[in-house]
Amino acid sequence: MNLSKYRSAAINLALAGLLSGCVYEKETHPNGVPATEMRPDEAGFVSGTGIESQDLVAVTDKMSRSILGTPQIANAQGRPCIVLDPVKNDTPFPINKDIFLTRIRVQLNSKAAGKVTFLARDRMEALEKERDLKRSGQVTAGADPNAVEFKGADFFLTGTLQSITTRTSAGRSDYVLYVFQLIDARTSEIVWEDSAEMKKQGLEDAAYR
Amino acid sequence: MKRFCPAFFCAVLLVSLCGCVTEHEHDVVLTGNILVDGPMMVSNGPPNDRVLWEYRTAAAAIRQGDDQLAKQSLDDAITRLGGIYGPDKSARKARSYFHSERVKNFIGEPYERVMAYYYRGILYWRDGEPDNARACFRSGEIEDSSSEGEQYTADYVILDYLDGLATTKLGDDGSDAFARSLREAHLAKPPPYDPNANVLFFLEFGPGPVKYATGEYKEELRFLIRQSRVRSARINVEGQTVTIGPWDDLGFQATTRGGRIMDHVLKDKAVFKTGTDIAGKVGMIAGTETALAGLQSHNQTAGEVGLGLLAAGIVTEIVSASVTPHADTRTWDNLPRYLTFTALSLPPGQHTATVEFLNEVGEPLPNLTKTVTINVPAGKQDKVVFVSDRSATPLTI
Repeated sequence: MNLSKYRSAAINLALAGLLSGCVYEKETHPNGVPATEMRPDEAGFVSGTGIESQDLVAVTDKMSRSILGTPQIANAQGRPCIVLDPVKNDTPFPINKDIFLTRIRVQLNSKAAGKVTFLARDRMEALEKERDLKRSGQVTAGADPNAVEFKGADFFLTGTLQSITTRTSAGRSDYVLYVFQLIDARTSEIVWEDSAEMKKQGLEDAAYR
Repeated sequence: MKRFCPAFFCAVLLVSLCGCVTEHEHDVVLTGNILVDGPMMVSNGPPNDRVLWEYRTAAAAIRQGDDQLAKQSLDDAITRLGGIYGPDKSARKARSYFHSERVKNFIGEPYERVMAYYYRGILYWRDGEPDNARACFRSGEIEDSSSEGEQYTADYVILDYLDGLATTKLGDDGSDAFARSLREAHLAKPPPYDPNANVLFFLEFGPGPVKYATGEYKEELRFLIRQSRVRSARINVEGQTVTIGPWDDLGFQATTRGGRIMDHVLKDKAVFKTGTDIAGKVGMIAGTETALAGLQSHNQTAGEVGLGLLAAGIVTEIVSASVTPHADTRTWDNLPRYLTFTALSLPPGQHTATVEFLNEVGEPLPNLTKTVTINVPAGKQDKVVFVSDRSATPLTI
């Protein structure tokens, strides 16, 4: 059987198959990717250059350790009362501002129980309402409802998030500086301050540039 | 003739194979009501159009006073915007010769991305979070500085002005941002900050830019800037009358964005398409003539060579036909043309404001006057009023 006469046709067919656009594209995840459990302190496969969970964990872990080491807390007579004052977000990333202080509070409460007391100033409206109900006799009171028992703050814990962003056709770079402070409520002295820094860079596909 | 049959068979087969591309259809029947179509398309439409529909839904929702839907749409869109770094399969496809640019996940041109952040910033401010609002306005400016060789980079007057206003209201120094807004001002000069102004009016009017494609293969992206009947707006509230013109023009922003890398990619695709088209035609003509000459002269070799050339020409034509240089013209089509802002001081309590949209001679345009009932709270929190010439009326805020 002389196959040579089929050669040109076979070559053309192969060439066409390669070039005509009827190319089978291998779908990497045709059925999607199942939810993957990640540790909150690790960078996931879905990430940007903004503030992410691993930053939150790293920053708040560092801050809670640092606060416990400060003499005003470590050597305090009794249990200093701390009020959380919302952090200032001076970055281009909209965030839930409370989450940093919430995690610091949780870390301090769980790892250094008894060293400090946090006051629930964010619940004052409900607390005042309850106190007023007790004072008016509408609900029972375990102690004299007219006594002033809401505690005053010894310290304010607060922070600021600042950033520098560079955006060019070569990509985006974000540097974020996290600064937290413990402020003496009586003297306004900053008795403790610490910071953490993160820098991330990314470049999107050329189709988006 | 039998020996020519395999080649002809191949040619026919190739033609039948051309366009053998699987398309995933997303048959969604649209109603024409964006607040119905938008969420439906987000859920059931093509995944690469998801952000586009979220943008459209958000703009419609904020004008109808449905902040929850607007926030939900914008938050998802912005999350996707922030996560586009690194390899993207849809974007890679869009750059290939054999796929259209529109297969990439839509995130919009810079002026569209800016508007996503702008609207989200307004909603954050309305929720009493001026620092997150400022974060959005800053992100908007960053999005406007991403084009290659762009001359007019980060030049939104309103974004810098609001950045500075938020900073001032947060007790810091907003003078740098205010100075930037003055430098960028071409249409109107923004006023100095009034720290006592507690009611913030975000106004928008006119039809936004629309994308279209030109060029032999529609490979060149262009913007249609439509004329706006509305040229300014007038606010009447509690005896105060304020007339404000536009601060920013999205038409200007769309057409001064600088070059896109995708423009070069599409140009290459067009050149390749032209080249393969010419080569294919030459191959087919030369092949046909050679094959006919071979048949007439009973020259078997010439006939086979001719048929080979013909088949190669057909293949090349098929390749040419498969190349898709068409520019992506998906548009956030319910954007406004003009953005402007003013801040007024009103005492706590309920106030009724009217917002009239004026033509080029300062006369109110019929059927565009909006009535807004504003409940100004006691305390420091600002009241944010958003009014578009497409807003629902009356609105209660």
